[in-house]
Amino acid sequence: MRETWVVGAASNRFGKMQETGREAATRVALEAVRQSGLAPKDIGYTFVSNCFGLTEKQGHVGPLINGGLGIPEVPSCTIESACSSSSAALHEAFVHVAGGFADAALVVGVEKLSHLDTLTATSYFAEAADYAFETKNGATFPGLYATLANAYQKAFPMKPEVLGSVAIKNHANAARNPHAQFQKEISMETYLNSPMIASPLRLFDCCPFSDGAAAVVVAAKEFVRQPATEPLVVRASARAGSITEMQDRPDLLGLPATRTAAQKAFRQAGMEPKQIDFLEVHDCFTIAELFALEDLGFLPRGTAGRAETDGVTARDGSLPVNPSGGLKAKGHPVSATGASQVVEIFEQFNGLAKGREVPRAETALAHNVGATGGSCSVHIFSRR
Amino acid sequence: MAATDPLPSAAHTVQEFVHGYEEEHRLRGFQCRNCGLRTATWTLACPRCGTPDLEEATLSDRGTVVAFTVLTVPGDEFLNDAPYAYVVVELDGGGRVTGWMPSVKSDSDLAIGTRVRFSPSYKPGVQFVKEADSPPTE
Repeated sequence: MRETWVVGAASNRFGKMQETGREAATRVALEAVRQSGLAPKDIGYTFVSNCFGLTEKQGHVGPLINGGLGIPEVPSCTIESACSSSSAALHEAFVHVAGGFADAALVVGVEKLSHLDTLTATSYFAEAADYAFETKNGATFPGLYATLANAYQKAFPMKPEVLGSVAIKNHANAARNPHAQFQKEISMETYLNSPMIASPLRLFDCCPFSDGAAAVVVAAKEFVRQPATEPLVVRASARAGSITEMQDRPDLLGLPATRTAAQKAFRQAGMEPKQIDFLEVHDCFTIAELFALEDLGFLPRGTAGRAETDGVTARDGSLPVNPSGGLKAKGHPVSATGASQVVEIFEQFNGLAKGREVPRAETALAHNVGATGGSCSVHIFSRR
Repeated sequence: MAATDPLPSAAHTVQEFVHGYEEEHRLRGFQCRNCGLRTATWTLACPRCGTPDLEEATLSDRGTVVAFTVLTVPGDEFLNDAPYAYVVVELDGGGRVTGWMPSVKSDSDLAIGTRVRFSPSYKPGVQFVKEADSPPTE
């Protein structure tokens, strides 16, 4: 396997895009390529993620993006893995570059949902669950995570303020991130007064609907030679799956796919959790951040809530989590989320995360989940 | 499974599962002939041991709630039913199924460990009522 680097990463501001997904995707892709110091013609393959592109009446968006970059002859394909789509695309890019099938590859994730009403958008989200055996029995996307939260709370009782502390911390980080949808801090009072969506999850436990686009360029070390930026060395690119349906999971205290993907990733990197300086994890709901910390192996089962309330996961804590603001406050444009986690790590390592720097970071981990854990990606990066 | 064996065929389709609980008022499922796991999900192989040797099973209509939420913002087929509970139920004799409980309107109406009974009254999906609220059966 060839040593593979992330040499460029770019994102727009999440929230509401006036332009189409295709336009936004092409724009961030060009920005990521320019950052890398490579030329568009150096790209050997483009992997695109755009789960809900068909709501814009547009499929097969890869050739459109490549055309817009002036490289129509470059192959492309669309990778779908629900909310983990663009980390799945990154994994495919890594496999191509590390395996010698391409010297450089482009990953682009984009989503536009703001042209849909909330009910329609909610229904699209629920389609990543098992329609016949979950959605048709009353589940919504928040409802599924709420059910897991209920099981977790039974095993490890906690006050509402514990989940509230996750939301408050991630909003505080997003307030310093120009890419974030919600650049605004919230108080515990605001959190506690927000309406219940699916008990025990309130409105401020939930990530928003977002438009957004993010792109990442990966290249073989031997191909880059003189990087234009501080590259991220890809130390691990691992994925795992698990049974989708909650009714067939023997254990509801977390997400089994995260555990499997994390074990693979740490083995691949030859590293342990204590060697990771900060994390970007999949906090589609506040409870999911607790699951991530425990399933990834950073904290024993049942202790993540305490770590959150004690400030361990703050930017200046011993284990900073989601300095970008996470899905919760940066926003969650489904197919752009995985790539945007890498954008945050790239900006942290390149001195571009002004006002939200994680001090002395040399290593980072990105964790991206598809729906309620049917899919999971874990990537580990370090400086050169 | 040898290469010459016929491919496993499920005893019924996803639609028949749904028809089972909405029209026939029974919970269709499978039992694995190898490890004994019972599942209420359509599949061609056991989700636990991977063996493609399943027999059809009608699952018990009674069980215990292992996790739940009360939704105030409903799914789009449940707009007139909110609030309601979405539940994961461990069925007597094995197998878990997810369903919903129109009678549960707040967290205080339900607890993990509550005994429930499959009792469809109207569509859609798998509906449960509290065993205590259901009429006695022979």
